[in-house]
Parts: sequence; structure tokens; C-alpha cells
Amino acid sequence: MGIISVENMDRLFWLGRYSERVYTSARLFADSFDRMIDMDMDNYAVFCSRLDIPNIYGSKEDFCERYITDEEDPNSIYSNLMRAYDNAIVLRNEIGSEPITYIQLSVYDMKKSRVMRAPLVGLQKVEDDILAFWGIVDDMIEDENMRNIIKVGKRVERLDLYGRLQMNRESIVREVHRLTGRIARTNLRYDEKNLKELKKLAEEEQIDYDRVVALADTLRKD
Amino acid sequence: MEIELTRRAETVNELLARYGVKFGIYKNNEFKEQLFPFDTIPRIIKKEEFAYLEKGLKQRVMALNCFIRDVYGDRKIIRDKVVPEEFVYISSGYLAPCDGVVPPRGIYTHIAGIDLVQGKDGSWYVLEDNLRVPSGASYPMIAREICRKSSPGTFEEYHVEDNRDYAKLLRWTMDYVNTGGHTVILTPGRYNAAYFEHSYFAEKTGAHLATGRELTVEDDYLYFVDYSGRREKVGAVYRRISDEYLDPMTFNEESVIGIPHIYDVYRKGHVALLNAPGNGVADDKGIYYFVPKMVRYYLGEEPILQNAPTYLPYYEEDMQYVLEHFDDLVLKDVAEAGGYGVVFANKMTAGQKEDFIALLKREPRRFIAQEVIDFKDIDIVENAKRVPRKADLRAFVLMVDEPVVWKSGLTRFSRNPDSFIVNSSQGGGFKDTWVLSQ
Repeated sequence: MGIISVENMDRLFWLGRYSERVYTSARLFADSFDRMIDMDMDNYAVFCSRLDIPNIYGSKEDFCERYITDEEDPNSIYSNLMRAYDNAIVLRNEIGSEPITYIQLSVYDMKKSRVMRAPLVGLQKVEDDILAFWGIVDDMIEDENMRNIIKVGKRVERLDLYGRLQMNRESIVREVHRLTGRIARTNLRYDEKNLKELKKLAEEEQIDYDRVVALADTLRKD
Repeated sequence: MEIELTRRAETVNELLARYGVKFGIYKNNEFKEQLFPFDTIPRIIKKEEFAYLEKGLKQRVMALNCFIRDVYGDRKIIRDKVVPEEFVYISSGYLAPCDGVVPPRGIYTHIAGIDLVQGKDGSWYVLEDNLRVPSGASYPMIAREICRKSSPGTFEEYHVEDNRDYAKLLRWTMDYVNTGGHTVILTPGRYNAAYFEHSYFAEKTGAHLATGRELTVEDDYLYFVDYSGRREKVGAVYRRISDEYLDPMTFNEESVIGIPHIYDVYRKGHVALLNAPGNGVADDKGIYYFVPKMVRYYLGEEPILQNAPTYLPYYEEDMQYVLEHFDDLVLKDVAEAGGYGVVFANKMTAGQKEDFIALLKREPRRFIAQEVIDFKDIDIVENAKRVPRKADLRAFVLMVDEPVVWKSGLTRFSRNPDSFIVNSSQGGGFKDTWVLSQ
């Protein structure tokens, strides 16, 4: 394994988290958008409340425009994508130019989606880019530790989002298992007590979603 | 002659964007990343012509290396009055802490970027020597990779020296002086104009990219500190930060991007710094005037490459000439770089001229004056038409056991038809530089 600084280990983790946040929030938005077309115009308020983001949007149209591409909205998908980009761009030495190109492409595709009347078509391309990024992470990053740190970031973020959205029990159980298997294969420092509690929560009939979110977010000790 | 590659411009530019081939720029105190405009028509240098340039560039860099060693050592060139003392010691690039310090293997100018222009008669002139942190090699390197991908037929048809070996050359240069330990590329960070290049070189050479925060000095050695707190010894640092910010304990004490005491480690010979601190004394625009004299003095040879005709207002005779031919000259502030501080006398108003001449008389050491060379124009494609533009060539010379000239270079062009300024920071673009192998 190559030498890696604390800063870059942190960036790898957050690259995983932000790329997952972009991917999952784009997919969740797609579900909500579909309902907003002709069934439930105010569904965006529910969306915001479940994701625990402030509902600063004045209408369905305002939400659809700003939540996707507004640079000034810190919760927009665009802002989260730029955070992924900011982490990726300083990791060229660790992960190589090729994986970064997919994050770069997703930024271009996101910008293109600004002018589209059908936002889901543009977002689909962003999702494709992120999926390709994960594929290339698996394929091209030889250092197992680095690869796994990105994936731990991804798993933590997914658990956080699934917890907030109170997804079904099976989804939470699956993500806890994936995270448990992955984190043990990194050199990340993490709280074993928290992980144990997460595993225990996943065995229970009724998931304590708030606790899942809290444990996922405080799992890392660095 | 139409090269097939020029019909693939759109593909090439899409790929350059995909690979994030950018440079950073500050506008109104805000950092922006911009794609570096690329033109697919290459500058083509014939094999024999490059052989001539290669010989001249090697000679020039050898002499410059001798000069730096001498200035911080015996100072023979000053004692022999070839270069006036005051030109050396008042140069902002002269750093007193470098006196008596000899770098590993006596190499100061590990990576030199020599800016050349070609006159309309085909003669080459050196415009500037860059011996501190010359940037730009990464751009033709990645552009070539992308051009080959976009138009393989072009490279079947033309026999062009492969320039993708730059990373190998750079690694060799770093390893050659490494004192034992890891090789690091030191960057000021993400918001530096040339960050793309720093990270790209780190990837391609296999060196570690680090900021000052990741390096520390302990017991006279330099270490990279990894995530677990483990210290790994560093033997060579290709630093992409200026001398003054390198070590707050020796140079600018306000530097927050440097590494405290790194200069002490270097002084003791425990780490190599590429390029050596203090090189600015030799690429000062005022010292440039003396480079042909250095070639004669140190190497006993006639200079192969010529300077652009230059005058030093510091000398009375030259001042007289400058005043008499003011309108025909370009004036350069020796302390400025990046195309800044360059004024063409014929573009000044009468009032500006009067003020400038007064300033020149007050501070004659601050400026050099040069004849305006009528550069040979190079075609670029603009709005689907070929149009001529001014262009220069930055050639890269790397020093190992002897100087090695990279068989390519960065050709920068002005996008403004009325301008001679080619710098990217001022809107210029770049081209690949082909050196024909047959």
C-alpha cells in the first residue's frame, strides 16, 4: 500500500459520501418528480422534510429548478456534486485521472441539464456518470485500502439517507451488512461500539431510524 | 497542407474537457478554473532545426547552472567584472541564505523552461529563461495523448517524436538527485493556477503529491506524515512553490504553505530541492542580458542561441539608445512575470511616454528594453477559418548527468490578432509542438 496522508484519507471518504449523495438524491428526486407532475404538486415539502433539508422553495417549479442545479443552494444536487468534484480533483495522485473524468463528466452533464425542460433526462446522465465512476473505482484503483475507503463513504452515506427516508427494514439490513464487511477492510479508525450497535439495531423488528442515522454519522473516529 | 487532426478539433477539445485540462485564474479575488484553449494545428519543427535548438539550449542551461553555482560560491564572474556586482545583489531573485550552499550533485537548474520566438526570417531568439518553477509541460503531453486517440491516422502519416516520455525524464531528474527516501511534488494546493499540472505529474511520475501540511522536519530530515502518524523519509522535493514561501524560518516568515526548517535540511544535504532555491538570480530579466557573456565565460564557446536585442538603461550608452529609439522598443519590468509589466512604447500616449521616461531615469535598473521582434505567425483555427497569430515556444531542459532537451515543448499563442502576449493568464491558448523524427 502506498503512503497516504490523513487529509487524503478523509477526502477519499467524502468523495464516496458525496458521490453517493448525488446518486441517491437524484434517484429520490426522480420518484418525487414523477408524483409532482400530475398527482401531488406539493410533494416537494414531504421530500424536504424527509431529507431534513429546509424547504426554502416557493413552488413545485422553484423546487425542481433550484434543488437540482442551483449553485447557491447548499442542499442542491449540484452543490453536492461540486463537493464530490472538489474532493476528487485533489486525489488524482491517489485514484488516477481516469476515475476523475467521470466526476468531471457528471459536472458537465449536470450543467447541461439546466436548460432541459425534462430534468430527469439530464439527471439520468448524471446518474450514469456516477455509476461509471464506481465501476472504474473497482476496476482501476489497485490499492485496496483506498478503494474500500471510498466505498465505506458510499455505504455510510447510503445508510444515512435510507435512515432519514425510513426505507424498509430489508434495505437498512443490507446496507448495515455491506458497511460492516467493508469497513473492516480499511485502515480507517472507527467506533466498534457504534458498529456493534448498528448491527444489533438491524436485527430488530422495528428499526430505530434516528439512531441508525446518528450511529452512521459518528462511526468514524478520525 | 492539411493535417487530418485539424478535422478532429471538436473531439480533441471534448476529451481535453473530460480530462479537466485546466488552469486556475483569480478574477476579482475569486478563483476560477478555465479550460486552456487548444488549437489542433501543431507547431512543426524539423529534425535538423530541433538539433540546432537542442545544442543551443543545452549550452545555455549549462552556462546558467555554472552562473548560479558561481554567484553563491566563488563569485569569479563578478570579480572578473563580466557581470556587474550590483546587478546580482539587487536582483530580487538573489537570496543571501543560499550563499555557500551546494545542492546535491551541484545541480541548480533541474527543470528549465526557456522561452523562444522565431523571427520571420526563421532565426530563433531566446526571450526569457525560467529557472524557478517553469510550468506548462503537462499540457502538450496530455494533448498529444488525446490527439493520438482522436486521429491515429495523423500519427501514422507524420513521424513525430513521442513527447509522452516527459514523465519518465522528470522522474529520472528527481531520482538523480534524491538523497534517499520518497520523491514528493510539493504544491501550494488546489487553488494554484498550475494545480492540474502538479497533480498530473504526480500521477504520471509516481511521486507523492503533498502540501506543506503533510511534510515535517525532524532531526534535520524531512518526512512525509501518513494517516497513521508514521513518518516516511523524503529524499527529493520537486517544489512548485516560490522560493519566498518555501520555508518561513528562512524566507518569508508569513508563509503558511511552506515547511518550517526545510531549508536547513537542504543546507545539510539531506534532501534535494528541485529547482534549487535562489535560481531567480539567473532568470532575472536584467541578468538575461549577460547570458551570452556567461556562455563565453564559463564554457569558452560562442553562444549558439541569441538573445533578442536587449538594452540595459542602467548603462549610459544603452539609456541613450533607448531614449533615441523609444518608440521602436518594448519595455519590461524585471520584477514582473506572466506577461505583466510589459509595455510597447508605440502604444503609449504622449503623457504616458513622458511619465515612463521619467520613471526609467529614476529607476534604470528596474527595466530592460528590447527590439520588437516580428515573430513568425502561426496559424490557428478560429470560427472555422485559419488565421495567423503570434506564438512563442517554451522548451524544457532537464538536468541529469548532462542537460536533456525534451523533444517537444509548449507553444503558446495569442488569441488577440493585435497582441504579442501569449500567456494563458491573459487569454492565450496552446498548441502541441511536433519535433519530426525523420
